[in-house]
Amino acid sequence: MGATPADMPIPVDWYLYLSAALFIVGAAGVLMRRNLFIILFSLELMMNAVNINLVGFSRFHENLVGQNFVLFTMAVAAAEAAVGLAIATALFRNRQTLMVDLFDRMKG
Amino acid sequence: MVDKILFVIFAVLAVAGGLGTITRKNVVHALLLLVFTFINIAAIFFLTQAYFLAVVQILVYAGAIMVLFVFVVMLLNLRTFKQEEQTHRGQRWVALVLSLLVLAEFVVVLAGISFTSARGGFTPEAIATAGGSTKVFADALFNQMLLPFEVASVVLLVAMVGAIILVKREKSAGGTTRTWEPGDQPSPEAVEEEV
Repeated sequence: MGATPADMPIPVDWYLYLSAALFIVGAAGVLMRRNLFIILFSLELMMNAVNINLVGFSRFHENLVGQNFVLFTMAVAAAEAAVGLAIATALFRNRQTLMVDLFDRMKG
Repeated sequence: MVDKILFVIFAVLAVAGGLGTITRKNVVHALLLLVFTFINIAAIFFLTQAYFLAVVQILVYAGAIMVLFVFVVMLLNLRTFKQEEQTHRGQRWVALVLSLLVLAEFVVVLAGISFTSARGGFTPEAIATAGGSTKVFADALFNQMLLPFEVASVVLLVAMVGAIILVKREKSAGGTTRTWEPGDQPSPEAVEEEV
């Protein structure tokens, strides 16, 4: 199997391992922390892990659509950050806290 | 060989920054560690010869989005974040164990898989002869991905309008009227009361 192109200095598996590690760190952050800001940071971390995968495979398959897709991921991340922070501001204005455990008024 | 060593260094720093982000009590410290992680990811993009994306990563992610976060963190009152109130204490350990399990699963799957390059033709030499990575990137973006590009602009517009609507204060909801006019200097107590 001619797995890796000869001129690709870093094996594509390494990108996948790095991406998996960063994604799990982000997922653990979302699940373990109760601060809304830290949860938003962890979401950004997970999106960046996906971006690493896209860039690594774009290089591996010698195809630039993967890199283009990273640009769209960044646009969606910016939109998510704007809306998430707006929700955080509105919640903080009403409840004076950002601990997500305390937002249980809907009895979910 | 040098590339591999640099990749490992930046990867370890990125993961360490990520771990710092999710363990800090102080939100501002966590934010700065997140910016550190993003800059290391930009370095990895450089090593992958995605030069345009590396610059965009620093300008847009570590620059614009993180400044937005800093702005809101500073805007809200940080004193209330001192203690992390945890009503579901057991959930933390369950989440940790499950995360480690999924990581182990990823590693097992990745260790047993081997990829074959599709050979799309955009080797570094081909990109260099075609006029550089940014030009080739833009060619692909504005030919194959033109419709998604336009949709992305609509997504940003919707997010902008949504953020404004969410933060806008409704006139009737609070019921508190201003005790000061916008023109003159308000007393700190009046501002505190309104905010």
